[in-house]
Amino acid sequence: MEIEKNLKPRQGVVDLPDIDDSPGPYCMSFGFEPESLIASIKNVGLINPPYLIGNEDGPYMIVAGYRRIRALKVLHYERAPCLLLRKSQFSSLDCLHLNLHDNLATRRFNEVEKGMVLSRLTSLISEDEILDRYMPLLALPSHKETLLFYVRLERELEKEIKFSLAQGQLSLQVARMLLEVGSEARGGVFDLIKKLKLNINQQRQFIDYMIDISNIKRTPILDFLKEKSFKDILEKKDMNKPQKAKALLHFLRTLRYPTLVRAEETFRKRAASLGLPEGIKVSAPPYFESPLYRLEIFFRDGKELGSKLEALKGKEGLEALGNPWEEGA
Amino acid sequence: MPDSLIKMITIEEGASGYDLAKTVLENLPGIPVQEVKAPGKKSASTDTAMGKKTIHLLPYKGEFLKPCPGTREYICCGYQILNLGTNCPLDCSYCILQAYINQPHLRVFSNLTEGLAQAVQRIDRQPEQIFRIGTGELTDSLAIDPITRWSERLLPLFSTRKNVVLELKTKTNQVKSLLTSNYRDRIIISWSLNSPFICLHEEKMANGLKKRLEAARQCQMEGFTLGFHFDPLVQHPGWKDEYLKTLDLMADYIDPKGVIWISLGSFRFMPGLKPIIRRRHPQTCVLDGEFVTGLDGKMRYFKPIRIDLYSYIRETLEKWHSDLGLYLCMESDDVWQRSMGWSPNNTTGLSRYLDRRVLKIFG
Repeated sequence: MEIEKNLKPRQGVVDLPDIDDSPGPYCMSFGFEPESLIASIKNVGLINPPYLIGNEDGPYMIVAGYRRIRALKVLHYERAPCLLLRKSQFSSLDCLHLNLHDNLATRRFNEVEKGMVLSRLTSLISEDEILDRYMPLLALPSHKETLLFYVRLERELEKEIKFSLAQGQLSLQVARMLLEVGSEARGGVFDLIKKLKLNINQQRQFIDYMIDISNIKRTPILDFLKEKSFKDILEKKDMNKPQKAKALLHFLRTLRYPTLVRAEETFRKRAASLGLPEGIKVSAPPYFESPLYRLEIFFRDGKELGSKLEALKGKEGLEALGNPWEEGA
Repeated sequence: MPDSLIKMITIEEGASGYDLAKTVLENLPGIPVQEVKAPGKKSASTDTAMGKKTIHLLPYKGEFLKPCPGTREYICCGYQILNLGTNCPLDCSYCILQAYINQPHLRVFSNLTEGLAQAVQRIDRQPEQIFRIGTGELTDSLAIDPITRWSERLLPLFSTRKNVVLELKTKTNQVKSLLTSNYRDRIIISWSLNSPFICLHEEKMANGLKKRLEAARQCQMEGFTLGFHFDPLVQHPGWKDEYLKTLDLMADYIDPKGVIWISLGSFRFMPGLKPIIRRRHPQTCVLDGEFVTGLDGKMRYFKPIRIDLYSYIRETLEKWHSDLGLYLCMESDDVWQRSMGWSPNNTTGLSRYLDRRVLKIFG
């Protein structure tokens, strides 16, 4: 879709109250920090006039320049120079296209904004055209599944979650998982993530555990979140946020992997009960999957190594080490 | 899989001239046919049905006969896979093929005759090697046999070669064309079995356990050698009782002396499959177990759970018959030792063990 060259916009000065500054159908800005733009306009004025569409006497809708209009309003401007497009001469797709290229030329879209672009395009053009032409423009793979995911991201996630995603506080993977959590429980899950300030890895783990446990127990996540064990951890007065986060994840891991956690604890106890000399450490392979356990000896010189090996040799109870689920090990 | 469930045939450029394409068209009269170009990336399907009502005919450009890639770090069986097509009309919740959702439809390779000729050349060049060949890795061997007539092409070709066994693996009772064929030697008809609960809830579109075993009995009575595969074993509530029901049924229907092998494998999957299963089968129980990252990157049950599963099935099967050719699929030496009481040590050892089973049954 090309905007015809002869449909040149008219230049004009528009009273800001005549501009509808709600994020209209062409807006592709989300989660931005307006400070730098405000500072720029304050210093040198408006360099690029926004594009508006409407009838002669307004009200005007923003086609491109949503952030500039918002900044001008913050700075208490009363009117601004704009480029005006006639409704009768520009289709919705023309407007969307104009905004898209205006943005692409100057900045990178965040993930929510990509979802906004794609969501808006789906109601105007064919899926094939979006895949062929617009996904590469947004640096996305031309996969139908990717397209559907971004559209869901924009349409289904709550504003606060989208804001966190746009700010990089949530990863795309976590956003995908939150979509799978479903709208009923999503708020509760997100609140906990925020409350405990879980890092990206912890967020992924937390949601994964919640989905799994809810499926295993056949209990909705929302009900599970209301359980006393959750509250007990969150209300612990002697723990700070990172400690609560750790305790919560440990609690969920114990529920999700009872046999594994039991085995890890048994092994830890057995290893500790050996009373190995300082600087000698035994550890289990990850998840006990490999049959090989590991011995580490820290030493300063050969003499110390020799004495540590000697101490180890005489150590009683070494035969207790081994697969913790096996009797006699 | 009734052939009436097929609603469309698509023929990719270059596929229509082959015999197999004609066979498919003849066996699906009245079904709309569409000629299509080779799909690009963007045609990736998100259709949760995976286009299972469409047969897509295409020429296969790769080798038809390939060694099973197995998995690193675990003991594999040295199997050879004969690729007749990909995707499957059945809809098992745990199926790995769901991860290949970007290639929807039941894909049938139309240049089978040419592919088989190549495969046979390779087999004949290595007369000292026993080729244990199966067609049921990327599709069910028999589910669409009434449409493709694969078995009519395969049985005469492999039954007459002394360094081959052909295993047709299925969860259906589509054995009609097998029973009318004259070939029995070096042909193994195998059924994938599970607990009645798993068959009912997780193996949608597959035949129920009894129907599978009835078909197996019919094949055995008609002189075919049988194989069975308990793969994937799934830990679910009451799993011991549930699997016992299956083992009891086997004992009712099958003469164990005519069984060449029974494999056991616990549910394992690439991590990427998990969200797909969650989306396509929200009620599934197959993800409920304690899965940890295995040495090959796949998710597997925590080791003592696997040992428990295998030990129980082995002990129960051995009460039925002591010589069933039991083996584990993609397991480690220590799991072999602890659950089976012995280990082939490595892939070569397991291959030799299974080759000996072939020699014992077929000579």
